[in-house]
Amino acid sequence: MNERMRESLSALMDDEANELELERVLSQLGSEPELRQTWSRYNLARNAVQGDQLAHLDWDISGRVQSALESSNTSSAFSAHAARDGYKNRLLRPLISVGVAASVALTVVIGGQQLAGLENPDAYGADQSVAANPSPVGILNIAGAVPLPASYGTAPAVPQLQPAVRTAYEDLAQQRLRKYMQQHAEQAALNSPQGLVPFARVPEIRE
Amino acid sequence: MLLKRLKSIYKPSSVLLLSLFAAVGAVAGAAATDCPEAESEALQWLDRMSRSLRQVSYQGVVTLQRGDEMQVMQISHTVDGGISSERLTELTGQGAQVERDYHPVECVHPGDRLLRLEALSPADRCGITMHYRFTLADDERVAGRNTVRIKIEPRDMYRFGYMMALDRETGILLKSQIISHGHQVLETMQFADLSYADVQGAPGELALAEVEAANAASDSIAVVHEAEHSHNEAAQSVHSVARAWVVGWLPRGFSATDASLGNSGRRTYTDGLSVFSVFLEDLNIEIKPGEGLVRQGGTITYTRGLDIAGQPVLVTVIGEVPANTARMVANSVSWVK
Repeated sequence: MNERMRESLSALMDDEANELELERVLSQLGSEPELRQTWSRYNLARNAVQGDQLAHLDWDISGRVQSALESSNTSSAFSAHAARDGYKNRLLRPLISVGVAASVALTVVIGGQQLAGLENPDAYGADQSVAANPSPVGILNIAGAVPLPASYGTAPAVPQLQPAVRTAYEDLAQQRLRKYMQQHAEQAALNSPQGLVPFARVPEIRE
Repeated sequence: MLLKRLKSIYKPSSVLLLSLFAAVGAVAGAAATDCPEAESEALQWLDRMSRSLRQVSYQGVVTLQRGDEMQVMQISHTVDGGISSERLTELTGQGAQVERDYHPVECVHPGDRLLRLEALSPADRCGITMHYRFTLADDERVAGRNTVRIKIEPRDMYRFGYMMALDRETGILLKSQIISHGHQVLETMQFADLSYADVQGAPGELALAEVEAANAASDSIAVVHEAEHSHNEAAQSVHSVARAWVVGWLPRGFSATDASLGNSGRRTYTDGLSVFSVFLEDLNIEIKPGEGLVRQGGTITYTRGLDIAGQPVLVTVIGEVPANTARMVANSVSWVK
């Protein structure tokens, strides 16, 4: 897989790709296992952030998407811009789901907001096996949901779930922002033309 | 409640280090053939802006708008005897103060050199014109001053665009906007009020004294921070990781801002206009791979959990770049073999 393709993939994930890139990626997804791997890796990460719905779909979806792409190219009903938005909504969503389905197998179960390993004891002393209990939302559980500790021994029949990885990584990014923004501002203040203004982006300036 | 004030001392050794760093890489002007076309008047203004910051004494009130949030701050800048001093006092929010005293005028950083159209590596000999399209736009009045406006559009998707307004008389940057690929304004920095001191030094002192007086009158300064200006000091405040690491991919035109290498937990890169930093933490527990993103105006904080050769790590990219750039940079971090 060349660098250009990797860039296109990443752009696609950000909805920043144009139609040409979309077509290029689609035409190669079918033939390059490495490209498929990268695609599912990006999707794994993205899904964790966005908490997208899971779906079981085969890889041949790319062929179907491509033909859909071709047919919508022939449609003149859309303006260029509307057509581009249309691609994103109609075509990328199923593709993203494909990546997610592939990524479920790679998922490692993790407990809690702090992203700690399984060996960490529950601070509330709750039974760890609750996390592994099959539940009506089993697949969601595998994909990173975590049961909240039950209080006062009145355990609900179905554990309450939240998309742990998504919120945990958003929390992590927030923490890192507070931790590192000042160090970044030090460098930005020396290397961009705004003088000390980059420090105004630091949430809490420390001595 | 003025807290402890850290004063750093101007070290000749740090200047030596800077000039050594500056000597690395070939220097070639943008005039070289087969470089992309650029409006030469716009480039001249860019060069002037980068130098004016070290030559002119001024003070004023600056606003920084990001989304619905607006931060207001007072800024003073004095140049006296080849040494510049700067001070930023937040008038909203935390109310912190940042100072950078004893910054020698000849202390030129990679960002300045990029704006002066120097290429930091032979592969990048057209300099910043390779990565942005510079054109002059209609003038605008900012803080009661006539300005020259420069429209700066990225030539690829890895960096944002800018709209800058420079004082027509002095070249000082009075307004700067970060513009997304969808042509949305992500952040606006602009002077609301500005006054220049006479270039001859002494009135500059006066300006500083006025700011001091304003500060003394106000009880609201929560913290005073002494900004870094040498690579030595910068290196000291950074955490370190167990193994040496490298960033394997950078958008074209980005160069390291300092000599951070090996085990240092931070790397920072600039193309002269945009700056981003990469922070690496090695973890002693396994984590589930994933990514998280926080956007504040034009600044993103992107944190990625991944496994590099059996070692779980957190990579965080902070800076004024699109999320896509941050993701690709984070994806390229590896250990030195």
